[in-house]
Amino acid sequence: MSDNQSLNIAVIGGGPGGYAAAFLAADLGMSVTLIDPELNPGGVCLYRGCIPSKALLHVAKLLEESHQAKDWGIEFAAPKIDLARLRSWKENVVKKLTGGLGVLSKQRKVKYVQGRAAFENSTTLRVTKTDGSEESLAFDRIVIATGSRPAVVPALKLDTPRMMDSSGGLNLEDIPGTLLVVGGGYIGLELGSVYAALGTRVTVVEMLPGLLPGADRDLVLPLHKRLEKMFDSILLNTTVASVKDEGNGIRGKLKAQDGSEQEKVFDRVLVSVGRKPNAEIPGLEKTGVKAGERGFIQVNKQLQTDDPSIYAIGDVVGEPMLAHKASHEGRVAVEAIAGHKVAFEPNAIPAVVFTDPEVAWCGLTETQAQRENREIKVAKFPWAASGRAITLDRPEGMTKLILDPQTERVLGVGIVGAGAGEMIAEGVLAIEMAALASDVSLTIHPHPTLSETVMEAAEVFFGTSTHIYRPKRG
Amino acid sequence: MIEFKLPELGENIEQGDLVRLMVAPGATVNTGQSVMELETDKAVVEVPSSVSGTVQEIRVKEGDKIKVGQVIFTVDGAEAKAPAATAAAAAPAPAATPSEQKSVPTPARKETASEQKAQPTAPSEPATSGGGEFKLPELGENISQGDLVRLMVSAGTKVSEGQPVMELETDKAVVEVPSSVTGMVKDVKVKEGEKIKVGQVIFTLEGAAAAVAPARPRNAPVEHVSGQHGARLAFQAAIRAEGKTEEQALPPDQPQQVPAQFSMPAQLGKVAGTEHRQAIPAAPHVRRLARELGVDIYEVKGSGPGGRISEENVKAYAKSLLSAATSAAATPRAGHFAQPQLPDFGKWGDIERVSMRGVRRKTAEHLAEAWNTIPHVTQHDRADITELEQLRARFAPKAEEAGGKMTVTAIALKVCAAALKVFPQFNASIDIEKEEIVYKQYISIGVAADTDRGLLVPVIRDVDKKNIVELAVELSQLSKKAREKKLASGDMEGGTFTITNLGGIGGVGFTPIVNYPEVAILGLSRSRIEPEWINGKFEPRLILPLSLSYDHRLIDGADAARFLRWIAEAFEQPFLLSVQG
Repeated sequence: MSDNQSLNIAVIGGGPGGYAAAFLAADLGMSVTLIDPELNPGGVCLYRGCIPSKALLHVAKLLEESHQAKDWGIEFAAPKIDLARLRSWKENVVKKLTGGLGVLSKQRKVKYVQGRAAFENSTTLRVTKTDGSEESLAFDRIVIATGSRPAVVPALKLDTPRMMDSSGGLNLEDIPGTLLVVGGGYIGLELGSVYAALGTRVTVVEMLPGLLPGADRDLVLPLHKRLEKMFDSILLNTTVASVKDEGNGIRGKLKAQDGSEQEKVFDRVLVSVGRKPNAEIPGLEKTGVKAGERGFIQVNKQLQTDDPSIYAIGDVVGEPMLAHKASHEGRVAVEAIAGHKVAFEPNAIPAVVFTDPEVAWCGLTETQAQRENREIKVAKFPWAASGRAITLDRPEGMTKLILDPQTERVLGVGIVGAGAGEMIAEGVLAIEMAALASDVSLTIHPHPTLSETVMEAAEVFFGTSTHIYRPKRG
Repeated sequence: MIEFKLPELGENIEQGDLVRLMVAPGATVNTGQSVMELETDKAVVEVPSSVSGTVQEIRVKEGDKIKVGQVIFTVDGAEAKAPAATAAAAAPAPAATPSEQKSVPTPARKETASEQKAQPTAPSEPATSGGGEFKLPELGENISQGDLVRLMVSAGTKVSEGQPVMELETDKAVVEVPSSVTGMVKDVKVKEGEKIKVGQVIFTLEGAAAAVAPARPRNAPVEHVSGQHGARLAFQAAIRAEGKTEEQALPPDQPQQVPAQFSMPAQLGKVAGTEHRQAIPAAPHVRRLARELGVDIYEVKGSGPGGRISEENVKAYAKSLLSAATSAAATPRAGHFAQPQLPDFGKWGDIERVSMRGVRRKTAEHLAEAWNTIPHVTQHDRADITELEQLRARFAPKAEEAGGKMTVTAIALKVCAAALKVFPQFNASIDIEKEEIVYKQYISIGVAADTDRGLLVPVIRDVDKKNIVELAVELSQLSKKAREKKLASGDMEGGTFTITNLGGIGGVGFTPIVNYPEVAILGLSRSRIEPEWINGKFEPRLILPLSLSYDHRLIDGADAARFLRWIAEAFEQPFLLSVQG
């Protein structure tokens, strides 16, 4: 086992999965090469995803609250938006974080190669560096962490900067007068919120009958209500039949399920219909790696591919395509390579939508329980009964626990409301530790905070919530 | 319409609670596909389907108690189609309820998705083209092979599903094996007398109508927990013998395909690399500890609130696994006879080596286990059966009329049943692990039968509820079945006590070995006229020698002497049976 620690490993892709894997490998004493086309590690998450979008969403929230402040007796003049400065602030956030990763990488003596990798065989990579030079490098183990890219819909392909994917949207080239967001998933709603806050009139088109498909409807409802006020319109059961570049805008033909059609010209269109795995690595066919359905690379619970010397982690191996899942997988893969008996076997992976209000959930959802015919008990605590939510003037939130009726174990947690993303971690911990409703209700939560709603939801399960009066039945 | 009934799950398992049903009306099932989880006394087991087709009607609900033989669901008669099988094989998630939402991939959608992307499909597809083959199916728990006694088909024979095609002698019994395919036999791949393994190809088919059982889905959970456990012990012993570490020998989990569609990251059960198992109530570090110790955390019972599994629970379970493995290694097992190296017998003359076929090997294994487990003591006694013999001769025609033979064994069955009621500890078993004595509320007695295949012990059930004539008839039938190799393994299970009669051959006494997990066995030797000192003179009396071997862990010597005396007196004064029995 100890000889595994002197292994020479390569990680292809410097995203949250890749750099977490590389750093842990280095910490375990392996000699590590990290290959990525960017100047520093970070990947989509830091350069064109989670981080820049959160910076912009922070600004969006500020703008929204400045409007709401009128109700509290504070009135601001209309904001002046210096787009160049906003952009550079966002870019500084990215630079600061990716630069930090570069330093961490050096401190750990990870060999960072700026370039792209191709397989020559199961243990050899041909690396084309950004400066044009090429090099063949041999490794004991290779970890594929190439991530994913925005999915492209052929019918919505136009060669104009007005047509954007999530990366284009985050570039924030201007504040368009009107924006069509195709896809009511979390990326579309987050970026739509940013543009709406900056003054753009946003139209969201979603093919399915609800926003955020997969999430429980009662969690989506408060968000939907608020977005209806922020956005021009939310068109459900609707697809974009065609788009046409008209020079000064893009004409979109929107087709509803009932057959009705409408045409409208938008200044910009944001396509956010999902992501596709980056599994087309040159030379991969020279290895034993196999791809499964939807092009994801096939792996076992140790994240090992069909080729024993190659592991794969993150978006490229499957859903959910989330940075925190990738990092955990990256660490598990490296531990497996080091010879530890480990497996990727979480009981819960949290999902967070950083809109306002935020929507977050983990573990079992009501939708899933229904589909599997699982008997559950649901305990909901409405934020209208939370002191902290009232002080924030955000009473629309809700916290719910999904519990096993027999064991009273917490199986799932769902939260909608301001700051839900921060709060969901308690739910994940409860599920991972196999906490019972009584464990949650007997844990003292600080007052006055939104976190009390988790405790009170557990009290609701026992019918004894302090801030909700429920008359006794019968 | 075909019915799927709950199959035999193993010895002494007659029913279970339905924990989870994995099919719904409209779902496509294939032979071998897991369709439900059943909690029996012993463990939670996944039950594979023995039928293929589209589910029509479900006859049970989750939470129901289900008996062996009960109808679970019906399927339409249509044969499973290969593409559907592919889709099913690729889907690790079993649930397919009718109220599926749009975000959930239905099997049909999955198919089109994989077609559009032109993905290479599972290997089961090409297997159907140009005919099929029939492989030896799973015959039961722990039965991995058998000797082909008789083959009932040859090239050109037409076979249909369910038609018996061969007789196979396994450790337990001779069984008829039905075909699972339909068509014309093209090529027979086996010969009579051969040893055949489960999964081995028996014959190939000409016709293309073969309903080839699809490959089990990858990562399909092991069917029987106890089987998995056994496999693990065997595996540990094997790698130890090879001098490897588990690391070197243990292949990592097989890669698994991810589902075709996935809209939001909520369905953890479908995440790449994770099986669709419900979240286990154990903290992450406890789950990791289980992995490090090589324990399947799903087999560990948690002692905490809500079944939460603690570090201690995992360690204790690992310990029990280990001690079981050590004792298993110490006990001579099939193929692992721990005996010193044999000399070269050929040095001193010609020898012939014959394989230890089914029954012989099983007998060796079983008796060695009994001998190693039970501290044996044998108690001898004699019964004066002079009067009984007269009664026997008188009533013999009555038994004959009914189709049986009034033998001493038949009478001994009745006598023992009565004795076991008076002395219940002789009708018990020891559960050492739980430190409990299992008293059986039924009396079923095995009778050792000498056949040309070796020693077989058919069991007569509920002996206490039958009269001697009925017992005589049943005994004759079972003996006939035994000689004709028609005994099913079920006929030899569930005994609580055993009688072995060597009187037909001779001898004055012997020390039988207790038929584990029973705790006592009665041996009968040849009865003979002996002089008995009665009322001041010797009289010629017919004396039956009795030998009782018992498990001294449970039964004290004095009790055994009393028990055997009771039996002897019952033979001497049959009236005792009606007074006390």
